[in-house]
Formats: sequence, C-alpha cells, structure tokens
Amino acid sequence: MSAMLENFRNHGNGRQATRKATGRGRGDRPRKGPWPSGLYGPVAPTLSRLSPRVFFVLVTLPLLLLTVDASAQEPFYKGKTMTIIVGTKAGDVYDLYARAIAQYLPKHIPGNPNIIAQNVTGAGSLIAANHVYNLGKPDGLTIGAIFPALYFDQLSARPEVKFDWTKFNWLGSPVVSNHFMYMRSDTPYKTIDDVRNAKEPPKCGSTGTASTGYYMPKLVEELIGAKFNIITGYQAGGDVDLAAERGEIVCRSFTITAYFAREPFFTWRKKGFVHEIFQTGKKRDPRLPNVPNVYELMNTYKTSEAGRRLATVILAAGNVGRPYVTPPGVPADRLKLLRDAFTKTMNDPEFKAEAVKRKLELHPVSGEELEALAKEVIDTPPEVVARMQKLLGK
Amino acid sequence: MAELLVMGDAFAKGFWQVLAWPAFGYMLLGIAIGFWVGLLPGIGGLATLALMLPFSYTIKTPIEAFCFLLGMLAVTGTTGDLTSILFGIPGEGSSAALVLDGYPMSKKGEAGRALGAAITSSLVGALIGAFSLALSIPIMRPLVLLFGSPEMFIIAIMGVTFIGTLAGASLLKGLLAGGIGLMLAAIGVDPQTGSLRYTFGQLYLWDRLDIIPVVVGLFAIPEIVDLAVRGTSIAGSRPEKLSGVMEGVKDTFRHFWLVMRCSLIGVYFGVLPVLGANVAQWISYAHAVQGLKDKSRAGQGAVEGVLGPGAANNSTRGGDLIPTVAFGIPGSGSMALLLGALLIVGLNPGPEMLKTHLNVTFAMVWVLIFANIIVAGLCFLVLNHLAALTFIRGSLLIPFLVLLISVGSFTANNSFNDLVATLIFGVLGYFMVLYGWPRPPLILGLILGKIAENYLWISTAAYGAKWLLFPTVLILIALTVFTVAYPTIKERMGKAKYERPEDAI
Repeated sequence: MSAMLENFRNHGNGRQATRKATGRGRGDRPRKGPWPSGLYGPVAPTLSRLSPRVFFVLVTLPLLLLTVDASAQEPFYKGKTMTIIVGTKAGDVYDLYARAIAQYLPKHIPGNPNIIAQNVTGAGSLIAANHVYNLGKPDGLTIGAIFPALYFDQLSARPEVKFDWTKFNWLGSPVVSNHFMYMRSDTPYKTIDDVRNAKEPPKCGSTGTASTGYYMPKLVEELIGAKFNIITGYQAGGDVDLAAERGEIVCRSFTITAYFAREPFFTWRKKGFVHEIFQTGKKRDPRLPNVPNVYELMNTYKTSEAGRRLATVILAAGNVGRPYVTPPGVPADRLKLLRDAFTKTMNDPEFKAEAVKRKLELHPVSGEELEALAKEVIDTPPEVVARMQKLLGK
Repeated sequence: MAELLVMGDAFAKGFWQVLAWPAFGYMLLGIAIGFWVGLLPGIGGLATLALMLPFSYTIKTPIEAFCFLLGMLAVTGTTGDLTSILFGIPGEGSSAALVLDGYPMSKKGEAGRALGAAITSSLVGALIGAFSLALSIPIMRPLVLLFGSPEMFIIAIMGVTFIGTLAGASLLKGLLAGGIGLMLAAIGVDPQTGSLRYTFGQLYLWDRLDIIPVVVGLFAIPEIVDLAVRGTSIAGSRPEKLSGVMEGVKDTFRHFWLVMRCSLIGVYFGVLPVLGANVAQWISYAHAVQGLKDKSRAGQGAVEGVLGPGAANNSTRGGDLIPTVAFGIPGSGSMALLLGALLIVGLNPGPEMLKTHLNVTFAMVWVLIFANIIVAGLCFLVLNHLAALTFIRGSLLIPFLVLLISVGSFTANNSFNDLVATLIFGVLGYFMVLYGWPRPPLILGLILGKIAENYLWISTAAYGAKWLLFPTVLILIALTVFTVAYPTIKERMGKAKYERPEDAI
C-alpha cells in the first residue's frame, strides 16, 4: 500500500515511476504539488485525453507495484522526526495519551519516523491549536493534540482564535469522552426529576466557566428546565471532590472515564456515597445502564428543536474526544497515510495492552467522523450560537 | 491493641520494602536526579517529575516507582536551599525565602554556617513531616475535611497579614508591594465569569502569571546585575575556606523550637490543598524574624531566617501526602503527577492505603526519611566544592547563571513568553532593590491573591453570609487578629520593645 502511494507521488508519470521502481530512475522525484489534488482535481478531466498506453500504465501500475519490494523506495517518513504538539502540561491525561501514541504510531507509518511530544501549554490548548494551524508546516510532520471544545471559541468569534475548525485535518481520537453527573446520595435529589421539582437547587462544584463541570449542568438547565446552583473557582477537579466529601457541594459533572478509573470514586460507589443522575452519550454507557442520557431526557421533557440544536453543538465536543489534527494543506496521500496509521495504532494489540496498563481508556473515533463533526458544529445557525454564548457566559 | 500491632507490622514491613533491592537503587537514582534538579535554579521538582514520568512506566512495583519519584521530589527542597544561599538565586520556587537571610550570610563569608544550618534544618523538617504523615494516619480523613473553603479563605487572609512582617523597614512600601502582588494575581481568565482580566490580548496571560518566572526574575536577575557591577566573586575578597558548617548545625539545635514550629507550619500548609511549600516558606520566614530580639538583624544574615524556611519547605512534603493518601485526591501539582504514576504501576492511592496497603503508606514515610538522611550526608560531603563556587570570579559565573535561569524559567510553560516575563520582573526586581522596596510581599500577594479570591467567592456562593459564623472560621479569625496584634500587645506589656525588622530586603 505504501509503495503504491509513494509511486503515486510521481505525478502519475508512469514511465518515470517504473524506472524508479526498478531502481534505474534518476531519483529526482518531483516534490512540488501533491499528487492527489493533481489526479482528482485539475488532472481528472484530462484523463480522457491521455494516450491509451499511458492510461494502461496508470491503471495497471498500482497492481504491479503491489508486488514490488517496498524497500526499493525511500518512504517520505524515513529518517524524519515528527512532532506532536500537546496542548497541556506534561503529565496531564492529554499528555499521557499523546506520549503513548507517540511511542506506537511510528510502527504503523512507512519509514518509521521518530515522534516526539512537545508541550505547548496555555489558554485551554488554544495556544497549541493556533500554533499547529499557523506555524505547523503542512508537510505531515506536525500533529496537534488539542481540546475538543475549542470550536466554542470560534463560534463565539473570539479574536484570539487564529484557526478555522473545519480546515484542520483530522487524524482521529483515541477516545470519546462522555460526561455524567454524580449527586451525593444523602440529598433529596434521587433523580433528575427531583432536581426539576426542587425548591432549592443542588450545589454543584466546578473549576471555571470553561469546564464541563460548569456547562454540562447549564445545558441540562436549558434543555429540561432543571436548576443547579453552580459554584465555580475550585483549583482542580480533586478539590471539587474534596468539597463534596465535606458537603460544601453535592454534585459535579465530569468524564465517565475518570469516574471509573480512580479513587475516590471506587470507594464512593462501593459505599453508595453518590449516585449518577444523567449522562451525555448518545447511548447509555454500559457501566451506567440505569442512568438516563440527555437525549432521552429531551424526549421525556419535550425539548424544542432549538434546544436540540444547542445540545448537538455542545455535546459534539464529547464525541470529538481527545482529537489529533494536522495543519491544513497536508497532501491528501500523506493525510490518508497518517489516518490509516492512526487507525492501525488504535487496533494494535500491543498499544491496547499498554493503554490498559497505563489506565488509558480506548474508544477510537476515525478522522473522517471527526471531519464530519467539525463541519456540523461550525454550521450552527447564529441564533443557536447566541444561546450557546449565553450559556457559556461568553 | 490489635490495631496497633497491625500498624507496627506495616511500619516494619514498609521499612524492609524500601531497603530491598532494586527499590533502594531506584531511590538512590531518584536522589541523584533530585539533587541536581534542586541545585539548578528555576528547574523545579514538578517539571522534572513530569519528565521522569515515562521512565516510571518501566518500573514494576508501586514501591519501586515511588522510591524513585518521591525520593527525587523529597531532596529538591534541601538542595534548592543551597542555591538560594550561595547565589541569592532560588534553586526552587519554594526556596526563595532562604535568599533573604541566607545570601547576606554568604556575602559576609558565613556561607558555611548558613549551609550547615539549612541542611540540618531541612533534615529536621523532613523528619517532622514524615512523622506527621505516619502519626496522622488514624485521623487523616477528619483532619483534611476540617478545612473547607471558608477556612481556606481565612487562612489565605492570615497569610496576607504576614506582609506587614515581611515589609521590613518601610511598612508603607511593603503594603504597596503586597497590593501590587494581589493585583498581579488578578491577571488571567477569571474562573467565575470567564471574563479576561489584564490580558492585553496575550494568550500567555490567560492562565495567570506562573510563579516561577516571577520568582526567578525578581530575585535572580537583580543579584546577577549586582554581581556584574561589583566585578568580584560572590563572597568578595574573603579567605577561600569554608568554616562554620558545624556552627550552622549547632544553630539548628540552639533554635530547636523555632525549627520545630516552622516544620509544623510546613506540615500544616502541606495538608491544605493548594497552599503548600510556596506559602509555607514565607509564613515561617515571617515567623522566624518576628521572634528576633534584635529586629535589625533580619535580612542582614540572621541564621534564624535560614532555619525557618529551610525546615518548612521540607516538611510540607510529608503534609502534601496526607490528602493524597487519605482520599486519593492530590494536595499539590507534584502530588497529582505522583498519583498518575502510581496509578500506572497499579497502586490506587485512596482509603485503601490506610487499610490493605498500609505498608505502602509507611514505605512512603520511610522513603522521605531515608532520602533526606542520604541527601543531607551527601550535601555535607560536597559542601566545600559548592561553596568554592562563591569564590569564582563573577564574570565567569554570570554566563552560566543566566543560562540556567533562562532554562529554568522556560520550563514553566515551554514558552518564549516565560523569558519575557522573567526579564520584566527582573527589571522590576532591580528597581525594587535599588529603591528599597521589599520583594517578598509581592510574591506572597501574587500567590495568595488568587487563593483568597477563589475561596471567598466559593464560600459566599455556597453559604451566603452564613460562613462568617462557622466556629472554625471564628477561631481562625481570632487567631489572625492575635497574630497581627501580638507584637503590639508585647510592646504594651513592656516585656520587649518592639521594633520593625530593618530592611528585610
């Protein structure tokens, strides 16, 4: 497959490619202009004008090349060093994923490049996203690991956003991150219905308005008319959990993954200290089979169409998970190669075993799916954006 | 009784697990790395822990993993103090308070005494921290739960009142510097409404000012400029021999109760989430100079000013571990990373650590003890070589120092802006020294401003105004008023004439 792609880069010039494949070529591989845009784009209409001989070579060449030893080629990535720009500090969960991927991805890229992870931190990975989009060369050597909800900022037309979410090239995501809310069991709020009917809303803790601890409960407020008293300003998620132990707050919304990965939640579930009152995945998480998801709640409480659109735009971030992107303009063949490599890595038994060992949940999403999601959210009509901005306090 | 036996057993088991091979080897490796990390200015334990994390994946058992990581973290506090004393440049963010009296001691040619005092007090502090961790095991959970957001707010305010003590000669300048610090703490995205404050279109400022570039800029750059201007070595033209190390060791025991109190301050701030060594060092420094009979010695090389923060920044390590072990909730940034590493090797810190894995908890105590004893011994061995650096001509030393502080600042966010921030605060620091403005209040204001703001907001949002009448809050308010009024009371009582400490830098 890789040999085929490599030869296709020779602008479909069959003779030159054949020479090269047999080792007699001059080796001056044309570097200007990516091949696929050439083939499918302006070149395609001219295909019919090609002489039958050239056409024959073009069609049969791929088949022939499959039998040619790949080592006769110099894969683009051989001897190269790729960089994954990670939007968080070293040691953060995003960083742990990125470093695991940096270790196993090279195995699945022809030429086995070296991959290093570099942390470009700040502004909730907005700095990293701007960095990758504007400073990363479109040569397929730069990958970004950024937050999935950055499109909120683009929709809000924040001047700091220096990228177009739809123009990123999406490689994939190792995991979707659906959210849920825990509620202390010694409160009167047994179900989301109790929250709707309560005179005094439950106090939920969060770190800030940009965190899911803030906007997930806000979204549920908007959709089904439940009320939460959201207290912001805790330093970290752990501090919110401590506040829950203390009784300062009684609920918090965060990822299902973390809830099943570490303390204090093991103990909490064992002792029945908390229960879960809603979740955000399209389907109920198998580990939370009795907890209604937001979509079911929207049906129950007859949420309006505009409300549903709002839910789509905000919950899309969870389906984007922890995405990996390249700058726009990467040659399509190289993008395909990277996407394939990403998918192969996600299915690599060794990588899976390592992920289990490192307590990194895997639930991969393909680059194509992410691309579609990106287009969908940026397409949000202005009135929904206005509601979203209000909800996010922006 | 049976419980005591179980604990005793786990205590002994932990001891042997740490001494077993290869765990002990990993600890030595950790100590070797931590030794240099501490010495090199700016490069902190937190950043290094993050770098070392991938290496810990290859380690098989939890005990070996934290022998390596905790061993490394445990010693940075001690060796960081050495850099602060010798060069006037904080080796770690949490060693900055040692610059105030430690560096003047070096300039007076008393580097040996200061180093001896710092190492011994660090050791004592670390041991107190380790024992507090061990002793608090039965009461850990209620201890951590005692401090809610309203209590944290009052404690932050108590910290702010120490600005007066840290102000030195001019109370007004000190208060103003503290105010500037509080204002700088407002920079960034505010967590309550998400609005941007003082960010001037710079994404770098969204996440608030990082403490490392500020500390390095304020303290290191003025000293480097000063060294360049003087054109001599740090110790001037004093005789090239290091004397008085034993004197420093004896100082620790002369002021034993001060060291004990400051160690307990460290433990206390370690237990409180968010505060930690960065605050504890200043509070204990303030406490130490407040107790000076002759206030004019503060900032002029009083050994008490070395002993206090020296002990406190080490004892916080033990305190830090308490919420981590009791709840599986990290008490600081470095603990969060440690927790991540432990998860990977299959240990899940949390309530289980007090029951089925009690021996692991005690093994942590032992790592703290062993690592600190070993590093103290190591420091005494290399002390002469380190102190010899203060006799090197400034022009040879300066390029290295500039390189090190640049690398150190850069590790804060891996951003070029870290260097810009360092330079800006360097210039500010230079003029502050030139015109006799104290720098510690600014740092304290910067650290506490954010904490005070957030906890005030949370307290009010969660409890309305009711929190003001919580018994714990009332006790803490009384304690704060007492600390503020104490010097005046003492003066009124006529026991000792109170003078403001002179020129605490």
